[in-house]
Order: sequence, then C-alpha cells, then structure tokens
Amino acid sequence: MPSSQAERTLTRAAAHALECRGIRKEFPGVVALDGIDLAVRAGEVHALVGQNGAGKSTLVKILTGVYAASAGDLLVDGRPVRIASPVDAEAAGIVIVHQDQQLVGQFDVTRNIFLGREVVRCGLLDFRHMRGVAEALLARVGGNFPATTLARDLSVAQRELVAIAAALLREPRVLILDEPTASLSNAEAETIFSIVRRLRMAGTTVIYISHYLDEVFDLVDRVTVLRDGRLVSTATVGDTTRQRVIDQMVGRSLSQLYPKEAVSLGAPLLVVDGLSQGRAVQAVSLTIRVGEILGVAGLVGAGRTELAMTLVGALRRSGGTVTLAGRSAAPRSPRAAKRQGFALIPEDRRHEGLVTDLTVRENLSLPGLARFTRWGVLRLAAERAAAVDLVKRLRIAPPNLRQLTRNLSGGNQQKVVIGRWLGGDARLFIFDEPTTGVDVGSKVEIYRQMTAVARDGAGVLFISSDFEELVGICDRIAVMRKGVITATHAAGDLDVARLMDLATGGDAASRAPANEAADPARATSSGIPASRGFGSVLSRWGTVAGMAVAFAAIGTMAPEFLSPVNLLAVLKQGSLLAFVALGLTAVLVAGGFDMSAGAVNQLAANLAAGTVAGGLGTAAALGVGAGAGAVTGALNAALVLAFRMPPFVATLGSMFVAMGLALLYNHGQALTLYEQPTFFLIGQGSLGPVPVIAILLAVLLLALHILFKHTAAGLRMYAVGENLAAAELRGIDRRRAVLTSFLVGGAVLGLSGVVLASYSYGASAVATGLDFLISALAAAFLGTSLSRTGELDMVGTTVAALFLASLSNGLILLGVSNLALPGIQGSVLIVSILLGVVGRRGIGQVTIF
Amino acid sequence: MTGADAIAAALPERRRRTVGSFLRAYGALLGMVAVLVLVAAIKPSFLSSANVLNVLRQSTVLVILASGLTVVLMLRGVDLSVAQITDASALAAAALLVHGQPVWVAFAAPLVLGTLIGAFNGLMMAYLGVPAIIGTLGTMFIVRSGELIYSKGSEPQILFTLPKAVTQDFLFLGQKAVGAVPVLILLALAMFALAQGLVGLTPFGRYARAVGSNVRAAFLAGVDVRGVFGAGFVVSGLLAAVAGVAIASRTGIAVPRGAEPYLLDAFAACYLGTLASRTGAMSIPGTLVGGLFVSFLGNGLTILGLGAPTRFALNGLFILLAMAVGALRRPA
Repeated sequence: MPSSQAERTLTRAAAHALECRGIRKEFPGVVALDGIDLAVRAGEVHALVGQNGAGKSTLVKILTGVYAASAGDLLVDGRPVRIASPVDAEAAGIVIVHQDQQLVGQFDVTRNIFLGREVVRCGLLDFRHMRGVAEALLARVGGNFPATTLARDLSVAQRELVAIAAALLREPRVLILDEPTASLSNAEAETIFSIVRRLRMAGTTVIYISHYLDEVFDLVDRVTVLRDGRLVSTATVGDTTRQRVIDQMVGRSLSQLYPKEAVSLGAPLLVVDGLSQGRAVQAVSLTIRVGEILGVAGLVGAGRTELAMTLVGALRRSGGTVTLAGRSAAPRSPRAAKRQGFALIPEDRRHEGLVTDLTVRENLSLPGLARFTRWGVLRLAAERAAAVDLVKRLRIAPPNLRQLTRNLSGGNQQKVVIGRWLGGDARLFIFDEPTTGVDVGSKVEIYRQMTAVARDGAGVLFISSDFEELVGICDRIAVMRKGVITATHAAGDLDVARLMDLATGGDAASRAPANEAADPARATSSGIPASRGFGSVLSRWGTVAGMAVAFAAIGTMAPEFLSPVNLLAVLKQGSLLAFVALGLTAVLVAGGFDMSAGAVNQLAANLAAGTVAGGLGTAAALGVGAGAGAVTGALNAALVLAFRMPPFVATLGSMFVAMGLALLYNHGQALTLYEQPTFFLIGQGSLGPVPVIAILLAVLLLALHILFKHTAAGLRMYAVGENLAAAELRGIDRRRAVLTSFLVGGAVLGLSGVVLASYSYGASAVATGLDFLISALAAAFLGTSLSRTGELDMVGTTVAALFLASLSNGLILLGVSNLALPGIQGSVLIVSILLGVVGRRGIGQVTIF
Repeated sequence: MTGADAIAAALPERRRRTVGSFLRAYGALLGMVAVLVLVAAIKPSFLSSANVLNVLRQSTVLVILASGLTVVLMLRGVDLSVAQITDASALAAAALLVHGQPVWVAFAAPLVLGTLIGAFNGLMMAYLGVPAIIGTLGTMFIVRSGELIYSKGSEPQILFTLPKAVTQDFLFLGQKAVGAVPVLILLALAMFALAQGLVGLTPFGRYARAVGSNVRAAFLAGVDVRGVFGAGFVVSGLLAAVAGVAIASRTGIAVPRGAEPYLLDAFAACYLGTLASRTGAMSIPGTLVGGLFVSFLGNGLTILGLGAPTRFALNGLFILLAMAVGALRRPA
C-alpha cells in the first residue's frame, strides 16, 4: 500500500488537478486572502487547515464561484478557468459538499441527488433511470437506505452521504469536502473516511477541510496550512508532524494586550451537572465560581453554541441540572433565564444579537425595559440617561443614541449587545464568540467588560475558537469536542498550541466509549422522527379519515346527497372551485402567495363574458381569459422579483387593481349571457352523464400534474418554494422558477374565470374576489394534508376542492343555513392549516410568505 | 451571513443631503399633496370648509381602524379580519340599542366583542403558529357568517327610526360637536394618541418593533415574543371595534357587510403611511397621513364623478407604488 501510494504520487506529480496562482481577495478595508499559490495534484487528498478566520472559507468560496477573486488565476488540469458562479465551478469540475448539507426535506433522495442535473426523456423526468443511478451512487458511498427515502427522514450522517452522492453525480475533477465530520459521531465519521479512501482509489481529487487534525493525518496525502489569509506551508503528511502543523496554524503569539486582572474567586456560582441537549450537548458538567472567567474552547460543531442556548432555555434540555447562585435554574425561555440572572451575548451578532432596525438606545434597553417602566409607561428620560452612560462606558462610536444599529461597525454592534446586559442584575454572562469580525480596539474593550463583570461578582462563560484570547483572558478553560467536555485546565497551564492540540483531538481519551455505544440510538432519535407515533398517523391519515367520516355522516342523515343527480351537481360546483384552487396552488408552489387569485378569476370572468357577448366566440373568450390571467401573473412576478416586494403585499395590491378593473369593465352591472350554446357547453354541458367541466378539470389536472411532478421545471419550482438556499446551491435560477409559477398559475386562474362565466351565465357585478380566495386557499392547504410529504399537490388540491363543494352541498341538504357557509369555509381553512403547523411552534409572521 | 455582508454592513452609511435625497425622503408626500391639489383645481368645491370637515368626519373611522392594523403590520403580522370586526361591532352596537339595552352596553359590548375576536386571533397566530394571512382570513369569514346568521341575511339595524330619547346619547358620539369640533374627530384624535402612546411610550410598543424587525434576536434578549405578537391582534381587534361603534353612531344605521370596503382603505393607508417615514417603516403618524389621503382622495373621486371601481384600482396601485418606492429607497 505505501509503495503504490508513492508510485502514484510519482506518476501524477506533474499533473495538477487544481492550481491557484496569486489568489487575492479584498473586502472593503480588509485583505482576506493574499498571494495564495496552491497546487493540488490530480488524485490526491489534500487537506486545508487553519484557525477560524485563516481564510479557508474565503478560498473555498472563490473556488466555487461564490466570491470573485480580486486578483490571481485559477487553473483546472492546467487550463485557466474563469469561475463567476457556482454553475461555472461545476462546469469546470469543482464540486463542493457543504458542511450543512442543504437538502430539500420533502424530496426523496433521488430528487435531491438529481436536483439541477435532472435526467429528462421526451421532456419528462426519467425517474426509473435516476433512481437506478441514485441507488448505485448510494451503494458507492455506503448508504444502506432506499433512494425513495424522504430527505427529512434521514439522520445527519445519512444526509451527508446523500450530499456526497449528489456531488459524485456531477463527476467532479476536484471534490471539496467542507468539515464533513463536524457534526458526526466517531463511528459515522469512519464511514466518511472510507468513502474518501475509495474516492482516492478511483482517482478523484479531494480537498478535505477539517479542524480535526487526527483525521487529517490518517486520511490525506498532503496538507496545506493557512493563517491570516496567507498560505504558510504545503507538505506531504510524511514530511511534517501534527505538532508542526499546529505551530504553523497558531503562528507566533501576537503581542496583543489582554487586560486580565487577578480577581479573587468566590463560591461556586454556576454548577452544571450532566446537561444534555439531543446529541449536540452530552452530559456536560462544569462549575463557574464568583468572579471566574471559564473559557470553552471548541471548534465548529463542537456543541458550544447549543450549550449556551440550552443554558438560557432557548433549546429544550434533554437531561441534567443547573444551579445558579444556589438556586435551581431550569429556564423554559430566554425570558425566564433573564429573570434568573443569565445574560447571553449570542454568536451571530447581526441575526441573533441585535435588532438592527432599532436604534442604539432601544437595543441597549431591550432586555431591561422593565427597569425603565412606571405605571406601564416608559420613563424615557431615565432610559436615555442609562443609555448615555453605557455609550460612554463602552466607548460606542459614534456616540449617537439615535443611530440605527445596522449602520454601526461590527465592534460597536457587539458592544451594544454586551451593554444591554450591564445595567441589570445578571449573575452569569455567556459570551459566544464575541470577537469574530471585530476590530482590535473593540476586542480590548470587550475583554475589559468581561473582566469588569467578573470583578463585580458575576461569572463568565466565554465560548471561543480563538484560542489565543482564551488563554489570555480566562481563569480556566474547558475543551469541548463533539458535544462532550473532554478536559478542563487552568489557563496558566495551557498555551495556544497545547489548547489547539486538545481541541483538534490529540487526546485519545476524549473518544469516550460510552458515547460510541449510545450513537446508534441517538442517530435514530434525532434523525428519523419515529417518536411521533400517534401524531404522525393522525397528520398523515387524519384528513382522509375526517373526509370519509363527513361524507358518511352526510350520506346517512341526508340520503338525497348520494343521489346521482346531486352528486353530478356537486361535481360541477367542485370542479369550478378546483379550477381556481389549482391556479392558486401553482402560484403557491414557488411564487410564495397570491392574494389576487379570486380577483383575477373574477376579472377574467368579466372579460370572457364581454368577449362572448361581443360575438367573438368561445375560443376568443378562452384566449382572453387565459391571457389576462397570465399578464396579471407576470405583473405579480415582476413586482416580487424586480421590486423585492413580499408576495403578500404585491398580490394584495394587484388584487385591488384587478377588482377595480373588473368593476370598471362591467360598469357595476352583471354581464348576463343569453343563448350562447357553444360557450355554455364548457360550464354546463355534459358528455353522456359526465359534465364537460369535470372532463376539462381532469385534462387540466393531468397537465399540471405532469408539469409540476414530472418535469425538471416543476421539480425546480418545488425546490425554490421549499428550500431556496438548497436550490440556489444547485445553480437553480429563482427568478425563472418564480416567474413560471406565477405565469402558469395566472393562466389557470384566467381559465377558471372563463369556466365561471360559462357556468353562471356570465359574470356577476359583486366583488367576490375574497370569497373565491378563501375557498381556494382552504382547498390548497387541505390538499397538502392529503399528500405523504405534506407539500402542495395538484391532486390533493383537486380532491380537497371536490370535498369542500360536497361539504357545502351536504350541509345545505342537512338544513344548515347558507349564511353559515362562509364561517364553515373559514373554519375548514383554519383547521386544515392547523393540521400542518401543529407541533412546529412557530409564530405566524408573514416572513414565510 | 457572508464575510462580505458583515464588512459591507459594518461600514457607516454615508448620507449626502442633496435635492435628490430630499425628494427621495419626501417626494412621495409631495406627490400625495399634488394629487389632491389637482382634484381641487378641477373642482374647487373639494376644498370648501364644509366638504373638508365632512371628509375629516368620515376619515375618523378609517384612521382608527388603520391604526390598529398598523400595530399588527409593525409586528410583521397581518390582520385581514379588521374590517369585519368593525362591521360586526357596528351591528352589535345598533342591535343592542334596537333591543332596548342601555347606551353604555351599546358602547361597551362591541368593544368586548372586538377584543375577544382579537384574542382569538392572537392565540391562533402567536401560540398555535397559524400564518396570520390564513388565520385572520378564516376569522373574517367566521365573523361574517355570525353577522349574516344574526341579521338573517343582511337585515340592517336602523337607529334613526327609534325614539330620540333612546338614541340621542349614542348618536352624540357620531353626530354632535363640542364647540366647533365634532365629537367624532375628538374620538379619532384620542384613539390616535392612544395608539401612538402605546407604540412610542410603552414597553409593548418597543417590544412590538423588536419582534417585527428580528423575532429571533428579541426572543434571545428575553422578550416574550408570543405574548407581544398575540397582543398586537388584541389591539387591532379593539380599535376595529371602536371604529365600528363610531360608524354606527355616525350613520345611525348598521348594514351587515357595510364596513367591509374599509379593508382596502386601511391597507392603503398603512402602506402609504410608510412613505412618510424615511426608513419606510410602519408608523401611527404615517398611517394618519395615509388615512387622510385615502379619505380625501375617495371624496375627490366621488366629486369628480368617479365611483368605487376607480377607488379600488387607484388604492391598489397606490399600495404597489408605495412598496415600489420603498424598495427603490432601500439599498439593494
């Protein structure tokens, strides 16, 4: 084996699969990468290592076309390439498997693997072929689950395998694996290693990014170290050592000033015993004394942030106890944690720390607003005084209380997040990576505040992957790896290299056997939602059962409901509703939302009635209706895409415009049609016993079903609607998907108007836009609860529409007043959406639309 | 967040005060004034003091209603049931009087009704996680059905045929004046002050803006995001009910479904109101401006002989225009 490896290295030494020459990347004010000359040999496994902020991810983003390099050249197989987008990168043969494998949860493995690279035969997706290839790829990566499994039912490790399989489909010249084992157990990581070894056998070039140096030394041929945006060294693993790589990653200690003060430590303040959170935090125990700063050193995926979130109740703990200042602390929310004395400075400052649309002052007082309230009214003067004081104390620049925090620099933003906890009575401060992306001056200020709160009798939990600052500022440092605290040392006994050694897995004892044993069980509990039991049966079959029960009950109590004449009448009404609901569903798949569905239906009905009344005939009416719908759809898409309007607002506006246009067109009068036998055939005729409208519906349903479920365009629309990030990483154009969705939906809504005009002898004068909208929404959402994956589905929508029509009809036969019908529709809408959101525990903000 | 975003966002935004930036900040407001001036130029009677006072009185309902909707929109929720709550409370107030209940009950009971409907909405959106668009649409139709069943299919509740002794205290609110100022306008001013005070001077208002801007950050800072989100619907339900009582008192009649068209006007008022703020945010004073514009425009169109269809179309266009201007103002 070693000889063949040496031989291979020799034969391929000349050929570089990938070469970077003088790559430089500048961001405003910062040089992120400079003079990177990296040559990756064909067929080798090449590790890229470095501390956080060393430039690894920037380099990877340049290689994959997310960023454009400011200077330098890229060569693949010796040929210069220009990579301006992920699509270019893929064309050049560079494929990446991201750390958080972005998959579309409602798609099965096959669809996820082929998304963006669909195999099409005669215009339709060739599922047989794709499934065969997917099974073969899964076998190649050692995945022993069927290719028909839904991605959302996979465990983390299985998702990783799918992501690698998807990358292999792209036949990469160079495969980049970004921290592939960060969130895997050791046993699961072994699977990844064997895949990498097999890929090397097969001649694939792999760039392997990892913090875990043990893995790196076992697995790779050569290793490149980056530090502070520069390439420090590239060496064959045989020619270097773990220790040398660590020294190169760490570099010479900077002469940074750490304002560490000796504070005499008091009694234990925070005692954490066996705290667990799923598989991210496993039986963590630690103690922080009054006045102590305890560092938690760990790499990405070590579970540090989950530890912080669990302490403040933002994540539900699965075991363990916490006491703060002698009192048991089990906060169920950050709000409760705040009252018990916890203060959290979250890792992601801009998304979790600051409310960037609020001012400096408003952000500073946010958690402590109760202190500035008397009789339920804010004491603005007191609040301002406190804010002025904090701005001075923290040297926040510019010292302007009315500045929106979005416009502050990173360091000053962080100071605001810290400052908001200083005025209160917090006892334990949790700093999660407080100094990333922060200038040196602010860093020192942040350390100073940390020391100050410790001096004043609080405890500090300081989470960081900058080991230098941990050594510089902490009293003790706990090392966290894969959810477990593996060691705790006095900071005085550690230096940066030793800490790096511990965190990257030098300590063999850290591979605790107990964790290994528990792994399979954990993988199941966190991966496959088997524990849902009754709830999952209910959400899968509850709607169907409910519909059957309703049908049976109505049929029993009002036998005339089941008479053929009545059923045919219901079929007509239901088909009418189904037309609108199908159009709406088409928009919902990728477009987001459509308030204008009902109004477009009505506008089209008026235009169609007018066209027929004008003697232009049925074909013209169909064309005018569909055309008007498509135009509205295109306008909606333009508003959403070009003006970045939320779909709700855009379509709300066009709903009112469409309603107005319809009323302007008909002058507030019903357009009643007489003696138009051809036109009336659409909505009222029948072929034998079967209503024409139902036949048309079947044709439309078939067409839409094929478009959305059996073509690449349909697959992509679903992907954009369900997981935009995943879709864009596969090079899918959101604009095209949204436009298609709105156009198809608009055209169908237009057609539905024509059908309506034919069914009801013309168009009514009343604005019924909202009435149709609510029925269509109810059908679409009720339809989602009929499908296995809970996704919007044309067949589900149609079945639900027919059911809703039956329900209305049946209730009226039972003697329920038709005045109650809107309320019943409203209730059905709410219940059908509840079936989907129950258990998700979000809040109903309009963000998702 | 990418590194580039972080760094780009960290740079202080430079503002150059030029004619261009002034126009960008206030151009939309100037546009609104220009539209009204145009109407006045064609029909001078538009600006007669009688007409202006009349429009102001009419606009009170919209301003009160839209203020509540603004609070919900600020939270990044939406309440499609507001106009229906207004409608139902107008009906309730009138029906209670017709059935011989004392005046204070006719004032108070609708407010309780609106608050309860708002609380139902709040529970559904904030604690069960129903998307507000869907949930409030459902509520709207449930309330509508309730009204229709009660009124046996839109039978109006007529107050002005009742003995004056029964109705005069109730109608005082909508039809009388204190000195030269109609009581209705005083009510609208009071509600405006209340809403503005709630948003600007209470913890709720601050939390509401935090939740609307970044719910995750607010949650981690210890804000009760569910409670705040839910309370927004209670506020909008209550203010919608006040608007309903005002309608019944002003017109002396409650026609089921008569107040539904206010939904469009309220949305137009709120979105137009975002033009009044430089950051494009929802605000109560902005909504006041928007509400007045929508009311005067509606009246102007009527004077010009253009009916409801034009108003629908124009208001819809104004919503889109306001959002488009807002998008152009925001940096990409």
